[in-house]
Amino acid sequence: MRILVVEDNPAVARSVAAILERRTFAVELAADGDAGLERLLSGTYDVAIVDVMLPGRDGFSLVRAARAEGIGTPVLMLTARDAVEDRVHGLNSGADDYLVKPFAEEELLARVTALARRAERPFAQTIRAGALEIDVAARTARYAGRELRLGKTEFRLLEFLARNAGTAFTRAQLLERVWEYDFDGSSNVVDVYVSQLRRKLRAAGARAPIATVWGVGYKLEREP
Amino acid sequence: MIARITAAYTAVFAIVVVLFSLTAYAFVAREYASLLQPALASPPVAAAYHDALRRVAIAIALVDLPLMLVVAAASYVLAHLSLRPLLAARERERRFAMEAAHGLRTPLATIASVAQAARGGDAAVTADALETIARAALDAAALVGDLLTLARDPHRSALHREPLDLGALVATCARDFMPLVQERGIELRIDSRSAIVNGDERRLRELLRNLLENALRHARSTIRVACNPDGRHAVVTVEDDGDGIPPHDRERVFERFYRRDVAPNGCGVGLAIVRWIARAHEGEAWVRDGEAGFTTAFVIRLPLLPIS
Repeated sequence: MRILVVEDNPAVARSVAAILERRTFAVELAADGDAGLERLLSGTYDVAIVDVMLPGRDGFSLVRAARAEGIGTPVLMLTARDAVEDRVHGLNSGADDYLVKPFAEEELLARVTALARRAERPFAQTIRAGALEIDVAARTARYAGRELRLGKTEFRLLEFLARNAGTAFTRAQLLERVWEYDFDGSSNVVDVYVSQLRRKLRAAGARAPIATVWGVGYKLEREP
Repeated sequence: MIARITAAYTAVFAIVVVLFSLTAYAFVAREYASLLQPALASPPVAAAYHDALRRVAIAIALVDLPLMLVVAAASYVLAHLSLRPLLAARERERRFAMEAAHGLRTPLATIASVAQAARGGDAAVTADALETIARAALDAAALVGDLLTLARDPHRSALHREPLDLGALVATCARDFMPLVQERGIELRIDSRSAIVNGDERRLRELLRNLLENALRHARSTIRVACNPDGRHAVVTVEDDGDGIPPHDRERVFERFYRRDVAPNGCGVGLAIVRWIARAHEGEAWVRDGEAGFTTAFVIRLPLLPIS
């Protein structure tokens, strides 16, 4: 597995590399944002670890630029503080996860492995269902060319339904596979999100956005 | 500070009032004088004129004095209102600095003494020392993170909120905790019903983890975790059958660095974080007696999301 580490503090960069190399991962280092972006654009990494505070181009802008170029490599952001704003900002700019420095070795390895596993699935980067088009790397969704402004969970639900267009899922299945919750009870949080998505899709011109399948749950038609 | 601002406001107003009153008095005196011009030469008229002027002066003073009192009171209230957030922010900063200093002393002492003791030791001793040092540094960093969170005003903090099912989250977090609980030979009962709130999932997971860790530190044999909708709120309870918390300590457990002597190895800020997260969600956290064999119950109440 090839990992790109973009970190300007040489001591931290070296130790992250040492931890990863001990697990026989191949590590490449970049010391500033522009060099990191150049490497990342080559698209040959399984995971990228990017510090937020970098000389030149900062971590957020690096990830945003890479996503805009269609690079879907999972990114783990490193932040120095427990900065809520950093986290929200980071996830919005296209990072997949974040880790606060300093971190425990096991924590770093667990996050990197989880991201790599997620990336292994041979998923399409662009999903189409009729007029609906989802760009997974850039985290954008359009209906008939109109951009849908979606929250994190709304996006995940729509992405899941679109990947499996034409198949109906029960609320429990959606709760387990989209939310990754382990809950036996019945929850109408799924209905809350389905109705939000329906509203947004209708506003963009969809006529029958997400169908209710009686006795089962919901599905997205192949031509919504 | 408040007294100084009140005094300044009042002084400015007093100057304005005095200038205005003097002008008004001078104007009245001149108008009377020009009206009575020829008659003023006679002593009785002059006496009546001066009497009238004295009454005008007294009337002006009688209006001015209460006016100034009202303004002084109003400026006190206004100064208080406008300064309160500033003073609260300054107090939070002061507390942060104090608590960080207090909380970092122990891990720093550990690091210094372990590093010095390991000098010249063999490989095994060095590896052991490095492990202890890494652990102490990570604890210190985690503590700084928690203190930074606590230094923020929970009512205006940036949370990443969206509708989520607190009941499902409680069940999920409790199940994640299951292996750790079983390792200690403790039973964990989960009784969670759906309750939709507008919440920050990561923060709420942190809240639940802190409560579960706390319960695990005290429980003898059983922990019970529940989530139920109740009117317009979602209520989460985490109960354990430990020694219980006496009523006079129930507020203090939410204070930072407050550790009851009976509690082993608590970090001291976990429950403060719990309350902070609950309040950041317009909710509340408190402790009451447990029910049906449980001694302590931590209760979290968050507003349910109204669903149209």
